[in-house]
Amino acid sequence: MSKPNDILTKFKNMPVDGMTKTIIVAITLCLVCSMVVSFAAVNLKEVQEVNKAVDKQKNILQVAGLYYEGIDVKKSFSSFEPIVVDLNQGKFTNRFDPLSFDDRKAAEDPQLSISLKEDPASIGRRTNFATVYLLKKDDGSLDKIILPIHGYGLWSTLYGFIALEKNGNDIFGLQFYQHAETPGLGAEVDNPKWKAQWKGKKLNNDSGELMITVAKTQKYKEHHIDALAGATLTSNGVDNLVKFWMGEAGFKKFLTNLQNGEA
Amino acid sequence: MSQTRKQLLTDPLVDNNPITLQVLGICSALAVTSSLNVAFVMSLAVIAVCGFSSLFISFLRHYIPNSIRIIVQMVIIASLVILVDQIIKAYAYEISKTLSVFVGLIITNCIVMGRAEAFAMKNKPFESFVDGVGNGLGYSLLLMSVGVIRELFGSGSLFGVMIFDPVSNGGWYVPNGLLLLPPSAFFIIGFIIWGVRTWKKSQVEAREYKIQTLKEH
Amino acid sequence: MSLRNYFHSLEPHFEKGGKYEKYYPLFEMVETIFFTSNTVTKVAPHARSFVDMKRVMTYVVISTIPCILWALYNTGLQTNSALATVGVEAQSGWRISLLQFTGLGISPESLVSNIFHGLLYFLPIYLTTLIAGGICEVTFATIRGHEVNEGFLVSSMLFALTLPASTPLWQVALGIAFGVVVGKEVFGGTGKNFLNPALTGRAFLYFAYPAYMSGDSIWTPVDGYSGATSLGIAAAEGYESLSNYGITWTDAFLGTIQGSLGETSTLACAIGLVFLLLTRIANYRMVVGCLLGMIIFSSFLNWVGSDTNPMFSMPWYWHLVIGSYAFGLVFMVTEPVSGSHTNLGRYIYGALIGFMVIMIRVLNPAFPEGMMLAILFGNIFAPLIDHFVVMANIKRRTKFNVQTQ
Repeated sequence: MSKPNDILTKFKNMPVDGMTKTIIVAITLCLVCSMVVSFAAVNLKEVQEVNKAVDKQKNILQVAGLYYEGIDVKKSFSSFEPIVVDLNQGKFTNRFDPLSFDDRKAAEDPQLSISLKEDPASIGRRTNFATVYLLKKDDGSLDKIILPIHGYGLWSTLYGFIALEKNGNDIFGLQFYQHAETPGLGAEVDNPKWKAQWKGKKLNNDSGELMITVAKTQKYKEHHIDALAGATLTSNGVDNLVKFWMGEAGFKKFLTNLQNGEA
Repeated sequence: MSQTRKQLLTDPLVDNNPITLQVLGICSALAVTSSLNVAFVMSLAVIAVCGFSSLFISFLRHYIPNSIRIIVQMVIIASLVILVDQIIKAYAYEISKTLSVFVGLIITNCIVMGRAEAFAMKNKPFESFVDGVGNGLGYSLLLMSVGVIRELFGSGSLFGVMIFDPVSNGGWYVPNGLLLLPPSAFFIIGFIIWGVRTWKKSQVEAREYKIQTLKEH
Repeated sequence: MSLRNYFHSLEPHFEKGGKYEKYYPLFEMVETIFFTSNTVTKVAPHARSFVDMKRVMTYVVISTIPCILWALYNTGLQTNSALATVGVEAQSGWRISLLQFTGLGISPESLVSNIFHGLLYFLPIYLTTLIAGGICEVTFATIRGHEVNEGFLVSSMLFALTLPASTPLWQVALGIAFGVVVGKEVFGGTGKNFLNPALTGRAFLYFAYPAYMSGDSIWTPVDGYSGATSLGIAAAEGYESLSNYGITWTDAFLGTIQGSLGETSTLACAIGLVFLLLTRIANYRMVVGCLLGMIIFSSFLNWVGSDTNPMFSMPWYWHLVIGSYAFGLVFMVTEPVSGSHTNLGRYIYGALIGFMVIMIRVLNPAFPEGMMLAILFGNIFAPLIDHFVVMANIKRRTKFNVQTQ
């Protein structure tokens, strides 16, 4: 029986470029490195997941106008009620757990989504189920409705949220949390001044037609958002995606049902 | 610290800067310098990876078989990079979103590989560590300089704090959009190299050929 | 003592060994403004041609005269018409005050008023170009010890003509400085630049201040007057609807449309082209190549067709007259230094640019205008094209020799 010390000496005495030593070094190194890496990945996973969730909640708080620097995101978010909506029925559904349901994954699943024939927002497939967030007042009554929207701009798909007042027609705000538009032009969708325009605009006119428009020239003041300077295609993209998601193929049915108390 | 060790640390800052003299590691310098916050985190990541990979490789230098030495170096560097990437994702989530793949791409950064192969394989661990950190610092110095120019003139701010009030905000400064695009870093790095070589003539490369002027008749 | 003798008496101070040896380029520049220089240029690019560079550059400047005159008239015309629509009362500014003060008035019908108003926009831009670019040029000439080159006059004139009238003057200065330094001086000065300096400066502005420069909204410098450029309209609604905006093909050909200062009139550019071709400054091969590339590829796209992109159906004769195609073709594509130098290469170089213009205009959704980018693209490929043409020649000749032996 050889003592551990002998093995080490034996190993040291091996020719550096010999086959045995090469293999031993390679295997040992791989084992050690993979252990370090997996240890880090497993231990940090929880923190990373929390980060991801907090990031999404932060975006929702921002669009609802509740976010400020240093806010306790988790605590403030508790006034929101996430809930899954069946877009075809326009009704709430409890088929899925809203906390774990993933709209984007659902859009790729043929069981849970439809392929669009008319596709102004260039998204290919639309999910049948979307997670919406209802902001409740302290007394439990509805305050704001936060709806997820996305669609293609110039270079990338823009993902964001639109916040509506409880009447389901007045816009409170719009915010994109993920896009890759041209810095200085299309990326001005993040400009607070441009975003501020959305507040108080109305989606539909009195007879219920969808009127909201992003354009260079103004037709109806209460439905008009100025297009971004020098970014025609991003502006068109935003126009299309807002019209799509607020239209019949999007949340319109749900919003109507919600008003009539049938959601 | 002894004189030589000090030199190991300070030489790569200007006299032997990995970017301006050796023109290595340009790719990430283009991608992550449009805002200083991101450039700063990237700098820290590269310093850490460069220093520790040199340290570990130097520890093992007598045991690494020659035939697989590059692979061994890669494995060590790659593990460190993943480690750094995971830590950034856990503790600096906002910045990790902008850095995206570029932390992962430190693996292919020639500076790290270059120091491992050229220095750490032949020198003692502590010297190697100092050398790695020094080169990381040299990279960071340039990254931050480019970042200052790009963020200040491209968005009118430094570290996200507004310095020039941009027009879109109702201010007076018209941001230079070119500086927000990655290619602008090419120009800036070019200008910096030009400046450094005007200052330190010894860095100027020998001419490959000379344009001949015809004699007047 | 005549001025000439005065210069001669000064000259020794500036020559090698003289007191102000360092400032020779400055002296040389001032002297040549007044007199024809005694020496001819010694370095490229005229090494490939028989004429000396001073004459080449002078001819090019002369050929831009129709464009300059048109720039004055049309800028004034567009501004005056816009003012008439928006209402003069709401507008203010030194130009309007000056026009009213001198009694010329602001009327799109008055030729003098138009030209004078245009001049008030063109002159500040051109002077800024000369001063800012001149400072860079002279600084480099002084440090590097080469002469201030006449090429600069051409670059600065072309640069000024490619700018919208509404460009702020600080942007003008920044653009030409970038063009002169990065487009030319870092590569060793005139004759060694592989990019067109005027276009480099213009491209810098295009990417740096895209909201001002990208070419989808118009450039008429009147507050509260907005609309789309002809290319912008064509991209959004198809070229047929240009007539709804009062733009006919003849308008676009003559140049009574909105656009950058000197780029609107295809006719003025054509006059310049004839002059350049007659004097053999411009090489007809590049022009032919560029026209063919554009016509063939746009016809091909007409044939392919598209339901969603109206630019597909725009015929070549519209591509020719709107945007900066004509201006770029005449003054930028034909530039001898940054283009190809072999005859076959010139055809290929021209065709590549013609192809790229259509490619960018029609297929790239982000940029309505593509001429500038296409030419810069061609500039970069010119040496490569030359290389392959030369290699092919060598190969062909070796084969030929083997057969005859």
